[in-house]
Amino acid sequence: MKKIISIKLIILVLFTSFFLVSCEKEIEIDLNEGDTQIVIEGEITNEPGPYKVKISKTVNFNKGNNFPGVSNAIVTITDNLGNTEQLIEIENGIYQTSSLVGIQGNTYTLNISVEGKNYSAISKMPMQVNLDSLRFNEFSAPLGGGNSLTTVPMFKDPVEKGNNYRFFFSVNGEKNTGYIITNDNVNNGQENQRPIFDQELEVNMGDTVIVEMRCIDLNIYNYFYTLSQISGGGPGGGATPSNPPNNITGDKALGYFSAHTIQKRLQIATK
Amino acid sequence: MKNNISITFFFLIFINMGSLWSQKKYTVSGTLTDGTNGETMIGAAVLIKEKKGVGTTCNPQGFYSLTLSEGSYTLQIQFIGYQQIEKQIVLDKNIVLDFKLNPNSIAMKEFEVTDKKDNDNLTKTEIGVEKLDMKEIEKIPVIFGEKDILKTIQLLPGVKSAGEGNSGFFVRGGSADQNLILLDEAPVYNASHLLGFFSTFNSDALKDVTIIKGNSPAQYGGRLSSVLDVKMKEGNNQKYNVAGGLGLISSRLSVEGPIQKDKSSFIISGRRTYADVFLQATDEFAGNKLYFYDLNLKANYKINDKNRIFVSGYFGKDVLGFGDNFGINWGNKTATLRWNSILSARLFSNTSLIYSNYDFNIKINSGGADFNINSNIKDWNLKQEFSYFINEKNTLKFGFNSIHHTITPSRFEGELVTQDKKESRSSLENALFINNTSKINEKLTLDYGLRLSAFSLLGGDTYNIYEKGILKDSVVLENGELGKTYYNLEPRFQFSYLINDKNSLKGGYARNTQHLHLLSNSNTGAPSDQWIGNSYNIKPEISDQISLGYFRNFKENKYQFSTEIYYKDLQNQVDYKNGADINSAPDVESELLFGKGRAYGAEFLIKKTQGKFTGWIGYTLSRTERKIEGINNNDWYVARQDRTHDLSVVAMYELTKRWSISGLFVYNTGNAATFPSGKYSLEDKTLFYYTERNGYRMPAYHRMDFGATYTKPHKKKYESSWNFSLYNVYGRENAYTITFENDPNDPSRTRALQTSLFRWVPSVTYNFKF
Repeated sequence: MKKIISIKLIILVLFTSFFLVSCEKEIEIDLNEGDTQIVIEGEITNEPGPYKVKISKTVNFNKGNNFPGVSNAIVTITDNLGNTEQLIEIENGIYQTSSLVGIQGNTYTLNISVEGKNYSAISKMPMQVNLDSLRFNEFSAPLGGGNSLTTVPMFKDPVEKGNNYRFFFSVNGEKNTGYIITNDNVNNGQENQRPIFDQELEVNMGDTVIVEMRCIDLNIYNYFYTLSQISGGGPGGGATPSNPPNNITGDKALGYFSAHTIQKRLQIATK
Repeated sequence: MKNNISITFFFLIFINMGSLWSQKKYTVSGTLTDGTNGETMIGAAVLIKEKKGVGTTCNPQGFYSLTLSEGSYTLQIQFIGYQQIEKQIVLDKNIVLDFKLNPNSIAMKEFEVTDKKDNDNLTKTEIGVEKLDMKEIEKIPVIFGEKDILKTIQLLPGVKSAGEGNSGFFVRGGSADQNLILLDEAPVYNASHLLGFFSTFNSDALKDVTIIKGNSPAQYGGRLSSVLDVKMKEGNNQKYNVAGGLGLISSRLSVEGPIQKDKSSFIISGRRTYADVFLQATDEFAGNKLYFYDLNLKANYKINDKNRIFVSGYFGKDVLGFGDNFGINWGNKTATLRWNSILSARLFSNTSLIYSNYDFNIKINSGGADFNINSNIKDWNLKQEFSYFINEKNTLKFGFNSIHHTITPSRFEGELVTQDKKESRSSLENALFINNTSKINEKLTLDYGLRLSAFSLLGGDTYNIYEKGILKDSVVLENGELGKTYYNLEPRFQFSYLINDKNSLKGGYARNTQHLHLLSNSNTGAPSDQWIGNSYNIKPEISDQISLGYFRNFKENKYQFSTEIYYKDLQNQVDYKNGADINSAPDVESELLFGKGRAYGAEFLIKKTQGKFTGWIGYTLSRTERKIEGINNNDWYVARQDRTHDLSVVAMYELTKRWSISGLFVYNTGNAATFPSGKYSLEDKTLFYYTERNGYRMPAYHRMDFGATYTKPHKKKYESSWNFSLYNVYGRENAYTITFENDPNDPSRTRALQTSLFRWVPSVTYNFKF
């Protein structure tokens, strides 16, 4: 759905490709140096553990892509039944559970204390919606490129409203890059019809397609929806960029903590 | 109640003015038309030679009326570019005198011709008003050779382009939806084609274009920043004309002529792009669609000397499609039925019934299942305006305007689609207005008025009430059920003081309110952007603008200089949350944020209007800021369209009888932009960290264009010309967007990538007329 809404992009790409009038170049921009921020990336799923929480820091734009891990944090995850586990740092900035088991429908609280600051986040793991199969539709891509296929994950959205999904897929081992998310604002309680696709990653007959479906909570949906809006902002201009709204409370931090279900399906692409 | 009292008081003042003069007086009135084609004149002056400072201006329908004491007078009829007419009259009874004005190039017979003084710009009260000369537009170079009024107004101080090659514009720090764009009185909700590279206005069909930058008289209302009043030609009622043009992108054709000479006429004007026709031949493009078209129609009929009716319509559509999978189309339809009636020698009535519709449609076929995404805004609009020429000093305009809006928000439809029902909402926008132009004496002219606007919810949907984004209450209004009504009083005031023949001082204050708001989740505007009316959460936007101007003419009015300063205060501005989902969210109102704004600046314009060499230099120094609850830590930030410096230079030179050349140069500070202050890694991707909204600037924008027109020698009636232009002469790579990403060649670093459009765009257009 995301791709379809990005009409501006399509028009612009069409237009500029017709008249050969667009050009790109790398430029130097003098960017301010922001204060260093803590970045938290934590998840717990319905798959067997261990589950990991990564803590790192932001770096300035002009530095290399080395993001320092944050050590010596006290990291705990607590479920709504009162089970608590402190995570062990296995690598610089990476913390891991040892016995905790993620269960659908449970609510999990992440607490972190580090460098004198406290962070906390709550996420409820939704009940899993079954990914029944994959269907492949014919698709003629804009701007030629010939006919290819799109993948429709077949699942039936539950009657109750408020289901949010995130998808990943790979074609012959190559993974997609963008953020694919959807919810049941449209077609609540129906069999899914919406295909997932990536302009950069074509699916053709005979390809091996693996789709991973995650049932995520609303905060995580909003987080990735915002990211997808910003990253869709190439030519034509997307939304004004911002830090996505997240579920971390207490001291300010970037990132998220997500409790979600995971289910994968592999299928060979056929009509 | 308080309001009612002040209105009554106001009316009393107006009425008193009419009865002050009660000696023996008679009225001379009539209609002014162009002698060559029968088009009514707009804003031509009718003066009394014997009485300095006494006179009137004809209304937009060409009607004038002057009431004077009994006696003999010499009438002078003046209009820029036309020969002045002088006519002796003996006023011992009410008389009706129609005049036909002839352009400067045509020799005159009946009346005495004298040189006219072009200092209207000094004496009119209008402040922040610019009129475009349709002949000038043809000469100014423009991208793809498509002459375009929306791109020409962007060269005026205080008016800024929404982006490279874009027809969207910002006026005095306002946003794009704060411009009231009227085509024959009908609001045009989306004035651009494709991504804004073309406007919906086909210049061939237009007669008059005026932009009012915020200080509009009381008969206009409904938008904060500006009024762009575009009037279509009526059609030549003397002879048939065919005019057209062949360009690289599109072709145009207009036909106009009398239905019955002097009595009725019509004009039909069409335009279509044809890039897709050629592209069908290429493998890549076959089966895809990309085009737009415009159709303007107008006809008028003189029932008798006192009554005339007009019918005009506009249809435009953009079509985009990829095979059978995917199609988008959008477009405006407007229709105006107008009745002009001269009720008495001093009272003129203009009644209009207007229909306006903007439609946006996406069709998707996915695995055999069809579905649509639609949104729509539809208006029925009744406007009644009286011009009452009270006496030689006062001209009163009053009337009402009543608009019924139906807005259908973006919704998904299809056999396999269910969605929480998004219903159409109706609303009623009413206004009463009264405005008087009063010549106090030879030097001082006042223009003052009052507009009372009322916006009522008319149901059709459930209206949720939010407090800080949390649902507090809901109001269900059946279709047609009256909900909340917002009342606003909008005072308007302007003056001009003529210091002497060469200098004048002007000033004004205006309050404007706006009841429809455009929700756009992108930076440059898209056809999918949606309008939303006031609700329980969304309150009318309000602006208060004060401006002050100094006008001076040099060298016998050959050079006109003006400077204006303004300050504008904005209330109830609408924005939306970071990452708001305005397409599929169950209630878009839950995604909105509200705040205020301010804008101020100084504008300078020097113009040369006569001679072989003409043109202007416009410069604006300005600032525009917003403060929205929930954005930028609730602090003030500069709006995206804030540009400190904005310069445009336009020059036209008549080289020989056949060749004329033109050039333009624009320079402006880059738009405000949000760039990252750091980066981090999440899911092994590099993401960016932002600290402040619009804390950075895009690089400065500058560009030069050249144009040349060759007019071929006339062959009998057949006239033709070639127009050549080169856009971006020195190939400046202006930044269209700047994005940040991992360097594909070196994943250990990130880079800033600038995308530019349009380096050296040459174009050629062939125009003809017979």
